[in-house]
Amino acid sequence: MEHSTAPTIGASRDQRDLVSGILVFIIADLIVFGMLFTGFMVDRSKELAVYNQSANTLDYHLGLLNLLILVTSGLCVVFAVTAAREGRLTALRNWILAAFVIGAGFGVSKAIEYGDKFAHDIGMHTNPFYMYYFALTGAHFLHFLGGMGALAFIWFYSLRHAGAPDFRGKIEAVGLYWHMVDLLWILIFPLLYVLGLQWQPCP
Amino acid sequence: MNDPRMFNTEAYFRYYNPVLSNESYFKYWRVCAAMGPVFLAAFIICWGVLGSNIPPIPADFTADQLAQHFRTNYNEVRAGMSGAMLFGCLYLPWTLAIYKVMQLINRNENDIVSTLQMWGGGLTVVPLVTSSVFWLTGSYRPDELDPKTLQMLYDQGWLLIDMFYFITTIPMVCIGVAGLTDQRAKPLFPRWACWYSIWAGLSFLFELLMPFFKSGLFARQGWLNFWVEFVVWFAYILIITFFTMKAIPRLAKEREEMLGRA
Repeated sequence: MEHSTAPTIGASRDQRDLVSGILVFIIADLIVFGMLFTGFMVDRSKELAVYNQSANTLDYHLGLLNLLILVTSGLCVVFAVTAAREGRLTALRNWILAAFVIGAGFGVSKAIEYGDKFAHDIGMHTNPFYMYYFALTGAHFLHFLGGMGALAFIWFYSLRHAGAPDFRGKIEAVGLYWHMVDLLWILIFPLLYVLGLQWQPCP
Repeated sequence: MNDPRMFNTEAYFRYYNPVLSNESYFKYWRVCAAMGPVFLAAFIICWGVLGSNIPPIPADFTADQLAQHFRTNYNEVRAGMSGAMLFGCLYLPWTLAIYKVMQLINRNENDIVSTLQMWGGGLTVVPLVTSSVFWLTGSYRPDELDPKTLQMLYDQGWLLIDMFYFITTIPMVCIGVAGLTDQRAKPLFPRWACWYSIWAGLSFLFELLMPFFKSGLFARQGWLNFWVEFVVWFAYILIITFFTMKAIPRLAKEREEMLGRA
């Protein structure tokens, strides 16, 4: 990595700085989520019946749909980053827009799911399973909103600053963050929706 | 010198008392920065150990159990909270040292973020000191106050110090955001420290759940809302102090070179 030794104001930063910086944010986040997942598993082992019974009230179809939405949206971001590397600006914007629109589906799905739970008077205090359910999915949802904001930012930023020296660093940092949002759901989905699931035979 | 932004840099230093020697210009900066670890050590001893807040008395304890604590340990709590109110104020000079460094991170940026950091960090003294008053009040006449009042005072102290977290989040995010605008080849605050600061500030959002629980991970004594969040905050203080200390001689060298060249 080459750096200028001049007093450097206005000098371009190495784009890897941004990427390595956001990795700290991601690792710290994953550590806390990892602790939450561990806490969930430990507490679950103490009240297995309650956790399994509650897990069966979740709609795993919606959980799976969310997984597909986020992974597809993540794939669009991969294409956007590739387009950025190859200097294809229009393709970059289109892929970011696609990632945003598809990602918005996650918000709709979560609204339906939360709405259903609240309609049935289910909240964080219903039982320990639902405490974890709302805490994990709620914390994930805040990360999702942050990611949607980041996608919107990078789309608008690309309109005027696509040639800026740190643009690639920015889009790669946003991409990494968005993949973390995917990854968290890939872990949350089996833990909450699948682990305690008792499959019902088809009629 | 052909770069207009470079000219601004020198103009900045000339605007800020070019007649001052470097020694005078940076006087007290290190002392103020050192107040961070001093605050931390004293706060852990006074507020944490003497005040019985590390770990906190669980929120699911009965009023009688809590009254027993105040009626047995009143002298320790009085000493601890008096110390916490004294040393809690050291968060202010520590914040000032960071503010001074932040102003020089990128001279082409305005000072909104650094000013916000100064206000947020300075106002962090309020929950630190005010919550200590509640615990001090409980220890002042523990035999004359009924258990429910003592419980209320202890609860109120914790609700204040935990739920006023966002006043501390603001400076944490500001330091990170300002640090990321640094254009130096080797930034004053490394990128990882900036992102850690932003993340740590935002991680306090878990405290939003604290008033809804008396047991479990989100309660005031819970492993997440107490152990993780306080360790994250303490680590932030040490990390930012370290890089503020390292930044001061670098800034002094930069200023010396620029004044010498002007």
